[in-house]
Amino acid sequence: MSRADRTKLEGFLRGKVPLARVPLTVAIACGAISGLTLIVQAWLLARVVDAVVIHGLARDTVWPWLWGLLAVFILRTITTTIGDAVAFEAGARVVLAVRGALQTHIFALGPSWTRRQRTGDVTSTVFDAAESIGRYYAGYLPQRVLVAFIPIAILAFVVPTDWVSAIILCVSAPLIPLFMVLIGRGTEALNQAQWRKLAHLAAHLFDAIEGLTTLKLFNASRAETASIAQTSNAYRTSTMEVLRVAFLSSLALEFFATVSIAMVAVYIGFRLYYRELHFLPGFAVLLLAPEFYRPLRAMGTQYHARMEAVGAADAIVALLDTPVRLSSDRRGSLPAAPIRHIRFEQVGFTYDVEQGGQVSGARPALEGIDFALARGRRVALVGPSGAGKTTVSQLLLGFLTPTRGRITVDGHDLATLPAAAWQSRIAWLPQRPTLFHGTVLDNIRLGRADADPARLRDAIEQAEATSLIDGLPHGLDTMIGERGQGLSGGEIQRIALARIFLADADLVVLDEPGAALDHETAAVVARSIDRLSSRCAMLVIAHRLDAVRDAHEIIVLRHGTIVERGRHRDLAARGTTYASVMGLPVGLDA
Amino acid sequence: MRDLLRLLALGRPYARWAAAGIALNVVVVLANVGLLALSGWFIASMALAGIGAIQIEYFAPAAAIRGLAVLRTVGRYVERVVTHEATFRLLTELRVWFYEHLEPLAPARLQHHRGGDLLSRIRSDIDSLDTLYLRVLAPTCAAIISVILLLGFLALYSVPVTWVEASGLFAAGIALPLAAVRLGRDPGRRAVSIRAELRVIVSETVQGLGELLITQAAVRQAEAIARLGTSLVGQQRRQAWISSISSALSGLAAQLALWGALVITIPLVRAGSLTGPDLAMIILFVLASFEAVAPLPAAFLALGETLAAARRIFDLIDAPPAVIEPRCGAPRPQIFNLRIRGLRMRYADDAPWALDGLDLDVPQGEALGIVGASGSGKTSIFNVLLRFWEYDGDIKIGGVALRELDGDTARSLFGVVSQQTHLFNVSVRENLKLARPDATDAELMDALRAAYLEEDIAGLPNGLDTLAGENGARFSGGQARRLSIARALLKNAPMLLLDEPTEGLDAASESATLDALAKLMKGRTTLLITHRPAALRIVNRVVALRGGRVYVGEAEAAA
Repeated sequence: MSRADRTKLEGFLRGKVPLARVPLTVAIACGAISGLTLIVQAWLLARVVDAVVIHGLARDTVWPWLWGLLAVFILRTITTTIGDAVAFEAGARVVLAVRGALQTHIFALGPSWTRRQRTGDVTSTVFDAAESIGRYYAGYLPQRVLVAFIPIAILAFVVPTDWVSAIILCVSAPLIPLFMVLIGRGTEALNQAQWRKLAHLAAHLFDAIEGLTTLKLFNASRAETASIAQTSNAYRTSTMEVLRVAFLSSLALEFFATVSIAMVAVYIGFRLYYRELHFLPGFAVLLLAPEFYRPLRAMGTQYHARMEAVGAADAIVALLDTPVRLSSDRRGSLPAAPIRHIRFEQVGFTYDVEQGGQVSGARPALEGIDFALARGRRVALVGPSGAGKTTVSQLLLGFLTPTRGRITVDGHDLATLPAAAWQSRIAWLPQRPTLFHGTVLDNIRLGRADADPARLRDAIEQAEATSLIDGLPHGLDTMIGERGQGLSGGEIQRIALARIFLADADLVVLDEPGAALDHETAAVVARSIDRLSSRCAMLVIAHRLDAVRDAHEIIVLRHGTIVERGRHRDLAARGTTYASVMGLPVGLDA
Repeated sequence: MRDLLRLLALGRPYARWAAAGIALNVVVVLANVGLLALSGWFIASMALAGIGAIQIEYFAPAAAIRGLAVLRTVGRYVERVVTHEATFRLLTELRVWFYEHLEPLAPARLQHHRGGDLLSRIRSDIDSLDTLYLRVLAPTCAAIISVILLLGFLALYSVPVTWVEASGLFAAGIALPLAAVRLGRDPGRRAVSIRAELRVIVSETVQGLGELLITQAAVRQAEAIARLGTSLVGQQRRQAWISSISSALSGLAAQLALWGALVITIPLVRAGSLTGPDLAMIILFVLASFEAVAPLPAAFLALGETLAAARRIFDLIDAPPAVIEPRCGAPRPQIFNLRIRGLRMRYADDAPWALDGLDLDVPQGEALGIVGASGSGKTSIFNVLLRFWEYDGDIKIGGVALRELDGDTARSLFGVVSQQTHLFNVSVRENLKLARPDATDAELMDALRAAYLEEDIAGLPNGLDTLAGENGARFSGGQARRLSIARALLKNAPMLLLDEPTEGLDAASESATLDALAKLMKGRTTLLITHRPAALRIVNRVVALRGGRVYVGEAEAAA
């Protein structure tokens, strides 16, 4: 990571300071007061020891100083408590704000972006990275102010008291940050790489555990143990490489601090011996010497918190900087009346080919797509894999915006309509439906928590899912295992179908309905889809004959363009692309 | 406590590293206390010598002060390197141990644990177990040893001061941290579980974002995430308050001990039973000695979270495996006919029977098609044959009872193409080599050609080195299926289990795939689950299942 990058990331972190201004100020004020009490405490303590050891006074004469000490102790207890707790608040505010921003941005980037990401990576960014930057505000920033304030305050006391010790402190103090910076610079770059590696490590383990069944099929699950040990060990070796260097910077700090304290003690001793100094100031300075370095020492820890925060900010800024490709000017409005016509007008779409976060080229996916959907009509999209069927549905669903041409909804350009308003009119069955954590009921009512029980029952029946749900251990209240382990592909699809029937949408997009169903069930579902299609506009992406046979129009895609269109009977008779895609012998009248 | 002991037992291979770290920790603490106490004694003596009250030989103490300073500095560096090395070694050990214990449980015992939940377990929990040594064990042991040595030294000078010091150390090191643990246990436990829940919900949101947007559930999901985030911060805030109060009070305990020591020793100096320099030394000794117990509050707080994480991990892996494997497996059968009699199985003790009295016979080298509505038990047959789930009844392969074979041997008999085959996010080559680790590129390409994937793979920018993406996202459903066919080809097992091998394929590739399968099936005993009539042309016989058993008898189907 270059210096400019680091400055940019640090700038990002600084930019969030206003969110935490008040708690930060309070935390710093509390820290400063604690610092000042140290000086008072050192002087009072030295006063007592001087009186007893040098002047041989009795305890009764020093009681006032002793009571004073007690008061100082209590004051410091209060200010440190408040300071620490309030500093947490500063971090928490920023963490919540950043997590919110990340989440909003991921939603804006949409499914066309998320389907190309590793889920583990995105989760790590939203979760761990956001949490790592908290310590920048809770620890590093307040400490940065105190690290200047407390030593200067102590120095202001030491200079008039004992100038020789002041010189020792003054000479050693600037050396410490210097060495820390010199060593810290090298570590920082390593630290950044470290963070990425940790995310990768997480993804690797996730992958192995998710694929455990497959690994077992190939008797490779035990061999994977070695791979996990290896990844983990590699992580240890490289982390230790970073730490050995990182610890050097604290070694430098400890070395200067500890040796300076020893020097202060020895010099004070000799000057006392030659009667160049009084005991009271000498002892007070000895007590303050460790306190002089303590903030610097704490800074060492906070410096790592800062490096970690900058490393984490890298992933966060990269995500927040990912441009949203969807058009943003969406001030149009969609009439409340049911949608009648949706037209693709010479629609084209080109994907950016990205390499290492940079756009390195373009990959055309669709060209000159022209077709219309209408209420009560069913259009089927067929074609070999890679022909662009998924891109068409992503455009229609509003996850992508056409790069050429336009899609209109009852005459309004889809790119100008608010995405949520448009999507609220759609029901969609993806190829691999996601079941979310919750009950079967929650999943069917997804987004419609208030659905009426009678309509719910009806939707379940339409999706042929009644007996399936009755067979579950707790019926509708059965909890879903992630990605439906425990439910078969066909069962998941029927639950997702029930979702569609419940939605009562103007437009229904079905991606391979019935693909995971057995023949009988598929036929029944096809019949209920028939019934559904009379109430809405429908686009079906399919490979199977029974799903397209009755379509009002079949559109055949190949290499991103429409090569054939028409009704099943005509297309089948023609015996060209359609026939070969659907596996029909030439000229067969199906 | 039992969890703690079990965790400690796991770290036994690294006991030496751990002990070395603790010893170094003690050296560092003692060097620091020694440095400050000696400095106090030294300057008080020098001051008294300066006014002619006492005589002093000053070279030895001055040199000792410098020596202790260097010892402390270098000791700290070595200590940090050693304790971290020990921690990471332990971490690897834990990960491997966890995976090894998880492995026999898959897939039967894991179906109730969601993938994200498992990830969270492995990462957060095992990561928080690293605090056991670095933040709990090492500081606690070092503190105990240091405190004993420090108190012993102090007792040489004054027993009452030793008592004051002991009570101060007890309050700062044990009483307050324990109180903090008690108070922190609840928020700690909640933070761990909220964190796990949050991780799951974020990862499913990323995976299912499209459906959330379309169903208008995105806003609600976003609110749920925000709510969980806020309640996580709430728990963390409680933890922050508890820790800042307990650390401030620990500081106060140290200061009160100092105060008490002063009040006790001042008359002793007057009475002549203690010298002035000794008093200066004791003051700095007491002040510095609290460094020994300074890490304890954090250690005790971390202990709560660590034990919660340990509990969850033990809960998960302590589940008995679904299948008890024979102690000594029977030899691999040499003929591969399959005979099933009265097979019953279910997925849980209270679940309905998924297979209920199934009888099947497949002679060696023949292919049997299995049809039936979803839920009729087709896939359960595969789960049983692959020894993923236990069964009642009788299954024999080449006359050997399946139950007598160990799981690996049983699975080595079958090539599998199923809906659940996972593509790993590594290169296509590595995904294929899973089935035959020593395969050459030429053999891989042969398999790809037979699975009608050669062109698809050759067309990829990096060919065989292309990454498959998370869950094989780089490939369409049909391509993923054909990749698993290529894997089955490479595995070259004597029997085949095919679960909807042509699902998701267009008709052209379906017929090509079926041709490939027909070649693959030659001479191999095969079970083919399908609901596609086209697929049934490559089998010898067809049976239909309903309610977990064969229901129309064996209908001869035209091959």
